[in-house]
Amino acid sequence: MMGLSFLTPAFFIGLLALAVPILIHLTNREKREVVAFPSLMFLTKIPYRSVRRQKIKHWLLFMMRCLALLLLVTAFARPFLDEPGRAVVSVTGAREAVILVDRSYSMGYGDRWARAIDAAHQAVDTLESADRASVIFFSDRAAALNQPTSDRAQLHSLIDGARLGSGTTRYGPALKLADKLLQESQLPRKEVVLITDFQRVGWDGHDEIVFPTGTEFRTVDLSDAETSNVAVTTLVLERELVSGRERVVASARLINKGVEAFDDLSVELELGGRPLREQRIRLEPNSSATVTFDAFTLPDGVSRGSIRAADDALPQDNAFYFVIWPGQSLSVLILEGPRARSGRSLYLRRVLGLGDRPSFSVAVKPSNAFGRGDLEGRSVIVLNDAPPPGGAAGQLLREFVERGGGLVVALGEQSGTADWEGQARELLPASVGASVDRSADWGGTLAYVDYDHPVFELFSAPRSGDFSPARFFRYRPLTTTGPEPMAGGVLARFDDGAIALAEKRVGEGRVLIWTSTLDTFWNDLALQPVYLPFVHQLVKHAAGYAEARAWRSVGEVLDLSQHLELAGRAFGGTAAGAELVALAPSGEKSFLSRQQDRHLLTLEEQGFYEFRSLDTEQSEPVSLAVNLDLTESDLSSVDPEEVTAAVSSRETDSVQAAGAWIPEEQERRQRVWWYMLVAALALLALETLWSNRLSRLAR
Amino acid sequence: MRGHRLNAEPSPSARFVDPKILGRIDNLELLARTVVEGFISGLHRSPYLGRSVDFAEHRAYMPGDDIRRIDWRLFARSDRFFVKEFEADTNTSFTIVLDISRSMTFASAGISKLDYARYLAACLAYFSSRQRDRVGLVTFDEDIVDFVPPSAKHLEIILHTIDRLQPGRRGVLGPPLAKVAEAIRRRGIMVVISDLYEEPEAVLNALKLLRYKGNDLIVFHVLDPAEIRFPFDEAANYEDLETGEAIPVIPEYLREQYRKMVAEHIETISRWLGDNRIDYSLFDTSTPLDFALFSYLSNRERLSRVR
Repeated sequence: MMGLSFLTPAFFIGLLALAVPILIHLTNREKREVVAFPSLMFLTKIPYRSVRRQKIKHWLLFMMRCLALLLLVTAFARPFLDEPGRAVVSVTGAREAVILVDRSYSMGYGDRWARAIDAAHQAVDTLESADRASVIFFSDRAAALNQPTSDRAQLHSLIDGARLGSGTTRYGPALKLADKLLQESQLPRKEVVLITDFQRVGWDGHDEIVFPTGTEFRTVDLSDAETSNVAVTTLVLERELVSGRERVVASARLINKGVEAFDDLSVELELGGRPLREQRIRLEPNSSATVTFDAFTLPDGVSRGSIRAADDALPQDNAFYFVIWPGQSLSVLILEGPRARSGRSLYLRRVLGLGDRPSFSVAVKPSNAFGRGDLEGRSVIVLNDAPPPGGAAGQLLREFVERGGGLVVALGEQSGTADWEGQARELLPASVGASVDRSADWGGTLAYVDYDHPVFELFSAPRSGDFSPARFFRYRPLTTTGPEPMAGGVLARFDDGAIALAEKRVGEGRVLIWTSTLDTFWNDLALQPVYLPFVHQLVKHAAGYAEARAWRSVGEVLDLSQHLELAGRAFGGTAAGAELVALAPSGEKSFLSRQQDRHLLTLEEQGFYEFRSLDTEQSEPVSLAVNLDLTESDLSSVDPEEVTAAVSSRETDSVQAAGAWIPEEQERRQRVWWYMLVAALALLALETLWSNRLSRLAR
Repeated sequence: MRGHRLNAEPSPSARFVDPKILGRIDNLELLARTVVEGFISGLHRSPYLGRSVDFAEHRAYMPGDDIRRIDWRLFARSDRFFVKEFEADTNTSFTIVLDISRSMTFASAGISKLDYARYLAACLAYFSSRQRDRVGLVTFDEDIVDFVPPSAKHLEIILHTIDRLQPGRRGVLGPPLAKVAEAIRRRGIMVVISDLYEEPEAVLNALKLLRYKGNDLIVFHVLDPAEIRFPFDEAANYEDLETGEAIPVIPEYLREQYRKMVAEHIETISRWLGDNRIDYSLFDTSTPLDFALFSYLSNRERLSRVR
């Protein structure tokens, strides 16, 4: 049965305009002119109501005006004859459904995950036989678990097999993927079901994803009005050396983002799977606290540890994992010139003896006594104003560098131009020139420092170290003899443009050349506060040292080729061609290789990843602690309407039912409004003629 | 000039001259003369022989008396000379009390009530002057505006005053008439020309003051025909000419009620004034002025007899 419907019924508010002709025909008649009358003595005695009780005089004119207005308003309301048959065809048409299920770890709060799974099952149950559906479990990434299918059993199975993730919520990727699936679909009806806790951190509102016109967007809001959550946010491990053993003081920071205080909250420090320390604290609502455990002695080898707060509604973020191992040490050999005075390397030995992260083990030798045995376990060799070893020793040094060892060259009185000719020259980026004496002008200064380089990065921030007070009275400029450019980079220059520090890669190793002395003979840098960190940075960079991190975060991508310390720690520096198998906390295996494309691993789970070598018999796996991204611990939620409004097509955002485009289409085809508008205009023209005629008659 | 032509050819048809036509005569004296002369000529009696020879009493003949005034019939009966004494009314004070309040300016068609009243006053003044009366004029709205004391020589002043009359403020009868009663101590004839837009009690109370001073009072109630019949059709805001107050009015719904109220008002005033021996005549502005003079004359005759 056909029925009259309206596309924009809000325009019916315009019917209020019908009051206008009524007022014209009643009230305004008496106000049209003013008649002077001698006295209202009698008129005022007549009750006012009898004056106001008026009748409409020109009924025909009145009806014409009302009808014209009615037609105008109805035309703007866009009437059309509803044809249910056409709509039914569309409503019963096949549907393309995309079920988006949030699997970020905040869904582990209370029973959210169970509710999410139930909601997903229900969404599948609503599917008709001709409908197709895809299930997408998403956190900060989204992946469709299946091709669009009508097989409900498969969909149920996929949903049952889903696990809660460790990622953070991001709606953008999931909505984009859903949009892509809908765009590819040919089915007439489209539906998106979003099952999530609507965390505010996951919604930035700028993705500008708008689903195709007519898409029904349904949300299942699993958020809770009030939440209570404790999270371990960070951990500081401070080492100290006591009686030759490292002792570690662990300080964990906890935060309570809920509205309830936690009395007597238990916080445990576990090491190697065993509880080691426990403390009880009170945590006020919306506050944080730091728990410092008593120092413990660090066992040999790599240890897995964790900080655990007592379980609450969201237990995932109550644990914080770390890996700790005895401190690393860089072995440094300082080679002095054969004729060097005693104590020539005093400053170097002193500053390298002060390091703890890493610590440095320093040995000093005359350069002419350098031999193969000196390279065992050595990280860096420093030629401190010493001529490079020649012959076999020089070859050894070269091989050492090419294998990844570090060489720091400090030029001086005894390391002249002639010493760096021949084979040794290849280690340097340029030739060593004759010394320049700047004592006449009170010494030169460092005019250019490459603060982006790892050596100087430490000093880049303001008040982080100042090289300008240092005076350089003598140095040896580096010069290129031919037209070829200098091999390597310049890290610092003096005020006359001469190179102060240069770097060259030789094989896998690095050579750093400092064109002045590293003591007080040619400059007073050793007396400046920046000397110690500068020498540390120099040696660490030469050794290719990168501090091993005690933990990483979920979502990070581990690039094996960039993490030598991991491979190195696991395989003793033989990781160049190593094949690794990475075992995720859930037991999932990934195979990695530095040499092939398989050197990237996305850390998706919270807990300990294990890396084992496939090439060597390695009994002890290397562990990597992975912690959650704590932005997800903020459980505040966004209004589902906001998300709905953002992704719904503007043409149909107020229409939820399937086949929403049908009324619009029907109206467009019928165009009843047009005829009504014409009729209204004709009536108004007739009204004008008629009223003019009446006016003439009245006159 | 039309006015001159009317004067030059006093025909019987001009006896009742339409006030609208009179309104075209700019000269008020000419207008008064036109009306009065026409009126008098139509009486077929000499106005100079009229009530001025009314017998009053006899007295003994004194040497020097006009022998024509000896009553010979009485001499025949009594053989004594008696002279006839006649009532002398030619020196009566005749005061026109003219309402010039703003409501008098109303005119639905033709001339306004004020113009009509002016013509009437002029005619009465002229006529009375011809009768040898002392003529005076008082104009008032809510207070006295012009005051010309009664005198046999004041006709020109009166006509001039009437000629330059301007509508005044709102009209009230009581206070100005009280002042008139105080100011004119000599008894006489007073003609009050007004639209009497006050409650009958107030009208009566105001007029009583004049009446009780011994004056012979004649009230000419001047109304526009539209004020009586209320012939309006269109709904409009009706604005009081005096107060400026306006009310929306749909004439067709209150016409009957209005007519009824006006009729009651007139009837009440007429009856109450009659009860107090005050002559009352209602004129609408379409009534010929001669008709008003007739009315006045008949009243005066009656007053003379009563006297």
